[in-house]
Amino acid sequence: MSEEEWLRQDRLPHIFCAGCGNGTVINCTLSAVEQIGWKKQDTVFVSGIGCSSRAPGYIAADSLHTTHGRALAFATGIKLANPALNVVVFTGDGDLAAIGGNHFIHACRRNIDITVVCMNNMIYGMTGGQGSPTTPAGGLSTTTPYGSEEPAFDLCVLASAAGANYVARWTSYHVRELTRAILTGLETPGFSFIESLVQCPTNYGRRNRFKQVTDQIEYFRSHTILVEKAGRMKEKGEEVPAGMILSGEFVRRNRPALGVRQ
Amino acid sequence: MRLQIDEHRCKGCNLCTLVCPYRIFKPGKQANRRGVVIPELDRPERCANCRLRNLYGRTLCGTCQMICPDQAISWVEEDAHVPKKVAIEY
Amino acid sequence: MQGNTACAEGAIAAGCRFFGGYPITPSTEVAEHMALRLPKTGGVFIQMEDEIAGIASVIGASWTGKKAMTATSGPGFSLMMENIGYAVMTETPCVIVNIQRGGPSTGQPTMSAQGDMLQCRFGSHGDYSVIALCPASVQEMFDLTVDAFNLAERFRVPVFLMADEIIGHMRERLIIPDSVVSGQRVPLEQGALPFRAGEDLVPGFPTFGMGYGVHVTGLTHDERGYPCATSPKLHEDLVKRLVSKIEGARDSIASYDMVNPEAETVFVSYGAPSRSVQQVLHDHPGDGIGHLRLKMVWPFAESLLSRFKNAETFIVPEQNLGQISREIERHVDGDVIPVPKLGGDLHTPDDLYRVLAEVR
Ligand SMILES: Cc1ncc(C[n+]2csc(CCOP(=O)(O)OP(=O)(O)O)c2C)c(N)n1
Ligand code: SF4
Ligand code: SF4
Ligand code: SF4
Ligand SMILES: [Mg+2]
Repeated sequence: MSEEEWLRQDRLPHIFCAGCGNGTVINCTLSAVEQIGWKKQDTVFVSGIGCSSRAPGYIAADSLHTTHGRALAFATGIKLANPALNVVVFTGDGDLAAIGGNHFIHACRRNIDITVVCMNNMIYGMTGGQGSPTTPAGGLSTTTPYGSEEPAFDLCVLASAAGANYVARWTSYHVRELTRAILTGLETPGFSFIESLVQCPTNYGRRNRFKQVTDQIEYFRSHTILVEKAGRMKEKGEEVPAGMILSGEFVRRNRPALGVRQ
Repeated sequence: MRLQIDEHRCKGCNLCTLVCPYRIFKPGKQANRRGVVIPELDRPERCANCRLRNLYGRTLCGTCQMICPDQAISWVEEDAHVPKKVAIEY
Repeated sequence: MQGNTACAEGAIAAGCRFFGGYPITPSTEVAEHMALRLPKTGGVFIQMEDEIAGIASVIGASWTGKKAMTATSGPGFSLMMENIGYAVMTETPCVIVNIQRGGPSTGQPTMSAQGDMLQCRFGSHGDYSVIALCPASVQEMFDLTVDAFNLAERFRVPVFLMADEIIGHMRERLIIPDSVVSGQRVPLEQGALPFRAGEDLVPGFPTFGMGYGVHVTGLTHDERGYPCATSPKLHEDLVKRLVSKIEGARDSIASYDMVNPEAETVFVSYGAPSRSVQQVLHDHPGDGIGHLRLKMVWPFAESLLSRFKNAETFIVPEQNLGQISREIERHVDGDVIPVPKLGGDLHTPDDLYRVLAEVR
């Protein structure tokens, strides 16, 4: 099988805007699913509501496109009722961290055996560019027209603290690293959380200094720093420059997990 | 094999132009019928996949295909060489 | 046995193998008994982080082919509304038990009420139809729970057991049969379109993990299951089918007790107030009082009312301000006299007899 066979050919091209990073994350996820050798028949994709949550609709496996924020609760039911199924959840920053925040921390705590891929575009894409819990301080959106005054969530730190077995962050520029991280997530029993920063040229980029699609990708390329490196810098008392994206593995561990296939 | 961009899927974001180590993808100049400016390919046969993909049985590099948000980049078998009869007139 | 426990036993007898919920008085005993029993029957119990997650997990479990249930009361029921609409739209079989308590808001956690009868019918946004059963005894907490699962499987719809605190916490003798009729959803034919329905308007079920590769969405979808949210015709056809598959069956699935169809004065009741009506009939035999006891309130089988040919007055005691008596008014020419009661106490037989005397 190839990644192309995981796609619902009859639904392409998809609804994402030109240059939207969501399509790239779908590629990386399908590549990882392909590499681990899962069968379509045994694999279920679940999502909430948002542009990112449209992803399962383009994948030719069983898929449940649910209500805003609740994907993890639906996925928990699927996985517990039939642990033989491989469950992957696609979600967005608003879906996961705002309306779905409580389900997120509890799914991490339960360490339920599913893999969550969050397409964090730091904005509410689908509804036209409102601020989200990951909109950076100062970030412009339709509901933060003077710049966001709230601190943003660090989703990976949150997932780590709440108990997930595997936590990693990459961006839509880092296709290889992202694919490898998702693959590790699929392989790890328990809750795996992979955050991918993605460009939303239409509703984030345009308002926040990224005129071209490629501008934000260039930014991702030049503004990432490995978690380990940032850690070493801090140990030495050096400062990690502001605005850098910490990427790589945050956590890889083996806490007791729920819903693992026997 | 031949590297190709699926004109029906490509939305002209130019991400491919950013990542190819050989700079095979160049920003296009003209919009097609759907108003999309599709990148141009500069000597695509330089991509290792064109020569070696079948030999290795897997995609080499593949960064452009992976980053393309619209699943528009692929390698297809080259049309089989059909010898043409050419009448040469002296 | 207690009503709530009987409900849990009925669920297990019907083949329920998944429970996801969140504790709330006066429904908690249902969850507690499921927590005790499900692991011993190869099922799964999970206490979720809230009722939204409870119903979500139930819907997820149902897509793996398991019969699944949740139980709650007023505030939790309100939280479930969005996902109940999702279950309707995606045609997911599931059973939702509501042991009704006094509202609005936190209201009276330990007192009985029937204030959610319209919410269960109309509470989620958009047009739709569901099935709601109302037990009036511990035995019916068992029997109607079994029925609820069978109806959910048959119609691919959320089915509500709309009990009240009185019946939920009442203790009575329960006879558990050796076996019960246990219906199963009809599987989708391989290769068929997942949301194309036949004559009964209920499509076959494409269980996850069986190779159907089905896409399920709460968006308006075509027969392939693909989102198609801007076609007026497609939306109208879909919603009308979802409603018709239930409303078209309302006479054939109606569940009720009927006493004295010749009567001129008829009590219509469901749930706990039925007990008081039964006492009135018992205390005044030969008084020619009619009684329609609805075991299924939704869909509302109005044809049952016209079976009381001589009826001039319908008296409707409810533990709310007259939710179902309004529905009855829509369907009959005679007088409809609501007998509302709030606060948790049941109408006494005397209360009802007094109304009867005034009417006659
Ligand atoms: C209960 C509910 N509230 C609000 C909405 C409207 N809504 C749809 S998508 C969305 C935000 C999505 O943001 P995110 O999860 O970041 O996804 P993105 O579109 O950015 O990928 C909102 C608020 C909804 N569908 N349901
Ligand atoms: S609005 Fe943003 S997130 Fe949504 S499809 Fe367009 S670019 Fe992607
Ligand atoms: S990355 Fe894909 S969609 Fe974007 S310009 Fe290149 S081929 Fe077209
Ligand atoms: S596979 Fe690599 S070398 Fe070949 S065209 Fe794509 S990016 Fe360039
Ligand atoms: Mg977003």
